[in-house]
Amino acid sequence: MKLSGYRKKSPWILHYNAGSCNGCDIEILACLCPKYDVERFGLINTGNPKQSDILLITGPVTKRSRERLVEIYAQMPEPKVVIACGSCASTGGVFRPMYNIEGGVDQVIPVDVYVPGCACRPEQIIDGVVTALGILEQKTKEIEKSHILHVAPLEEDGQVNRRHMAGTIKK
Amino acid sequence: MATQYDIPVGAQHISLLEPLHFKLTTENEKIVDVQANVGYVHRGIELACTSKFKFRQVSFVVGRVCGLCSISHTTAYSQVAEKLLNLELSKRAKYLRILVLELDRIHSHLLCLSHVAENSGFEALFMKTMKDREISMELLEAVCGNRVQYDYSVVGGVARDLRPEVAQMVLARLNDFKPKLDDLREIFENNYSLSLKNRGIGVLSSENVKLLNAVGPLARAAGVPIDVRNETEDLLPWKEVGFNMVLGDAGDVHARNMVRIHELYNSIQMIENVINGLPEGDIITETKAMPEGEAVVRLEAPRGELFHYAKGNKTQILERLKIKAPTFSNIPAFIETFKGNEYASAPAIIASFDPCLSCTAR
Repeated sequence: MKLSGYRKKSPWILHYNAGSCNGCDIEILACLCPKYDVERFGLINTGNPKQSDILLITGPVTKRSRERLVEIYAQMPEPKVVIACGSCASTGGVFRPMYNIEGGVDQVIPVDVYVPGCACRPEQIIDGVVTALGILEQKTKEIEKSHILHVAPLEEDGQVNRRHMAGTIKK
Repeated sequence: MATQYDIPVGAQHISLLEPLHFKLTTENEKIVDVQANVGYVHRGIELACTSKFKFRQVSFVVGRVCGLCSISHTTAYSQVAEKLLNLELSKRAKYLRILVLELDRIHSHLLCLSHVAENSGFEALFMKTMKDREISMELLEAVCGNRVQYDYSVVGGVARDLRPEVAQMVLARLNDFKPKLDDLREIFENNYSLSLKNRGIGVLSSENVKLLNAVGPLARAAGVPIDVRNETEDLLPWKEVGFNMVLGDAGDVHARNMVRIHELYNSIQMIENVINGLPEGDIITETKAMPEGEAVVRLEAPRGELFHYAKGNKTQILERLKIKAPTFSNIPAFIETFKGNEYASAPAIIASFDPCLSCTAR
């Protein structure tokens, strides 16, 4: 099986708390445990952004955790899916008017799936994760699509100039 | 002297639920110094409570300080607001508050125990404990209507009455839960592999508890009897429903586990007493008064003593609200406990503190 096949069967998740009240975090933990068991979809909770495919974010983004959130997002390899878990992560929720809050996660990084609820129920999280699996597959296909170039790629010092190539992709 | 290395744990780490940063200075695997950095989740709830929200809404906002002990925050705030309003609660409302506080303690302590097991490297026990914890989550959902963030206490009483069939269900499910708890106690007490990671690790002596003002299970595991439930009777009748102090002696990770497990037995007993002796009465006391004056309330959250202070000036908006969370008092003790342990034990020690950073930073 090719690498993309493994990604489809076992996407690993990374969980980051950007300033939440722990409510959604313990529901994510409950999801990983026997009663709800998202591991049946091949998901494993990992602590390493460089090995993860799905980023689960809980809580509104505080001014201090924003830097870390962007850093973690940047370290994750493509293709990646971002899930905002809970009302606070989606919109800022009850914390929206507070002085140390940037707002929902989508103010900082692009979000693919929004999971509502305070705290979001495990069933909703599973629904969100399964939706994310579909998006992940779609993004994988998008990345693997071959591109038609207008002109022959420019070579410099024996290497293909990627910046030049990006400008020549046929839309 | 061997070379010292600084090893960061956090802010994002597999063994942490929350952004918490420890800088561990190590020397040959031994931790010699620790710096804790806890402010990642500061949101500014106290200021918003005194400017954006009316005092009756604040009980819902302070619940969002922490999802694990949300009932402790809502109850403590409701009590402090009732003091400002000079409101006397019916006994039924007080009993129902105890019921949900103790159910919440069961789920919080089991979460902490499962986390200790996971961070000690015992994944099967983590799964087992989390499976048993679902019983308390289902009961909380049946009693309050939501799994997390119950918003059960409101200013003047409680939001929902306990229906007789739900009361019967709580008693029946807790009866099912008891043998499972016995199983867990057996594993946590006697398992050899777990004892290698837990016994004699992360010792906090009773002198240090007194010196560094530790509270909650951390203090009780070292044999220091600090429990608000034992000290105050005026707001909630703890002694009446059968509260017993649980004390450990060694002060290590294992003693903390055992204190938590024995508190679960006590919580189950209290819930049964509450349901069997539930008095009749209104669940909510209405008033048109405005909050006036100053008041302080202490309440035993699952992690220790929770402190709420409020000041009102006869308007809808409070003048000041101050929350002091148990983890905030425990941070100096955390730092002391790390010293002299191996670096590999650090995750288990962090989990055994049961840190709640969203309470601390607010």
